[in-house]
Amino acid sequence: MTRALFLVCLLALAPSAQAQFNLRDLNINKLIDTAKNVGKATREIDEKDEIAIGHDVAARLVGAAALVNDAHTQSYVNSVGRWLALQSERPGLPWRFGVLEAPQVNAFAVPGGTIFITRGLLEKMRSEAELGGVLAHEIVHVVKKHHLKAIQKGAMAQLSADAAGAALSNVNSEARSKLVSFGTEIYSRGLDKSDELEADRLGVVIAARAGYDAYGLPSVLQTLQAMNASDSALALMFKTHPTPAERLAMLSERMQPTLDAYSGQPQLRERFIQQVKVAR
Amino acid sequence: MKLLLALLLVPLACLAEPATVIRASELKKEPATDAATLAQLPENSAVEVLERAGGWTRVKSKAGEGWVKMLALRFGATAKGGDSGVSQLFNVARTGSSGTQVTTGVRGLDEQQLANAQPNPAELAKLDKFAVDGDAAAAFAAKGKLSAKTVEYPKP
Repeated sequence: MTRALFLVCLLALAPSAQAQFNLRDLNINKLIDTAKNVGKATREIDEKDEIAIGHDVAARLVGAAALVNDAHTQSYVNSVGRWLALQSERPGLPWRFGVLEAPQVNAFAVPGGTIFITRGLLEKMRSEAELGGVLAHEIVHVVKKHHLKAIQKGAMAQLSADAAGAALSNVNSEARSKLVSFGTEIYSRGLDKSDELEADRLGVVIAARAGYDAYGLPSVLQTLQAMNASDSALALMFKTHPTPAERLAMLSERMQPTLDAYSGQPQLRERFIQQVKVAR
Repeated sequence: MKLLLALLLVPLACLAEPATVIRASELKKEPATDAATLAQLPENSAVEVLERAGGWTRVKSKAGEGWVKMLALRFGATAKGGDSGVSQLFNVARTGSSGTQVTTGVRGLDEQQLANAQPNPAELAKLDKFAVDGDAAAAFAAKGKLSAKTVEYPKP
């Protein structure tokens, strides 16, 4: 249904329900706002609203863990990330990459192009190709709008269509903080498994496009597999993602030709060790 | 070729890491499909991982040393590694005077900390300082001899 048609229907229906009570008090402007919000709640969210939602969610994440106080490492991770993002279908987003001061092993993609990786995960890596593999996985979440769609779905489930539409498009709306809380909760609950596996597959492609050894991400997954699964640093990541074994099996089944075709590209181990040694 | 191979080798952080062969695999003399096959490793064979080159991993098996496909291995054959110390760290930090756990002053990214997080826009604003634009990213890539390729996504 087009927006205009929807508006007409709402305007046509609403007065008949309320007319018997008090037609004079009927606020046409409010009704139009409601119809607009309902439209916004169900339509695809535009880029400006996506970036604004991402900004609010990212502000919560850095409220849980601050940025690692090391400009050199932060800039290095931004260089790797931006180069990868340029190979994606959304090269023009305001991409930002940050290393968070947290011992847990994890990484987070926020709508609009903000990506975080924890110090705990960075310390497990051995090369720029491994860092690139993880960042490429997160970049896919943004390109495919996995979190944004989950936030929109949640808003529709938890709020009225009117409030959801307002919260998605207006930073000052009453339901905004509820929306942002829900958006932050997704990082505790996890996305659909199919989204994670898609991010693995397409992430391998983005890393290969950027010129890295395509085995960067599988290598990190094997490192995680080798860790004690009950290690508390892994708890949240393991809760919100398929097991490394399942992810590796899917990559082996679906991506072996791509992985092998680009396995000879640079890993840049030495540059990685030089650039992040300050963070260690 | 030798030099190239040397550049590709990744010494694993922990040498001789245990792994299991998850499907019957050929143990190769070199990291290549057309290399000579030294032995057949049956499913579930235990091996020790020595190093990686591209999509290949050099392993030590009962049948000797050789190369198997990296994705034919499952790491962590036995429980090992222990805890990274995150829980201990938090246990110390959470000791409250009344014996109840308080998390003030300790930040991090576990489930509870995410749930309790308050927005910190000032911290987020710092991110802008580290942003890298497209030209700088391309120069950075060139310095590392990374060149962009056209690679298609797999079919859904």
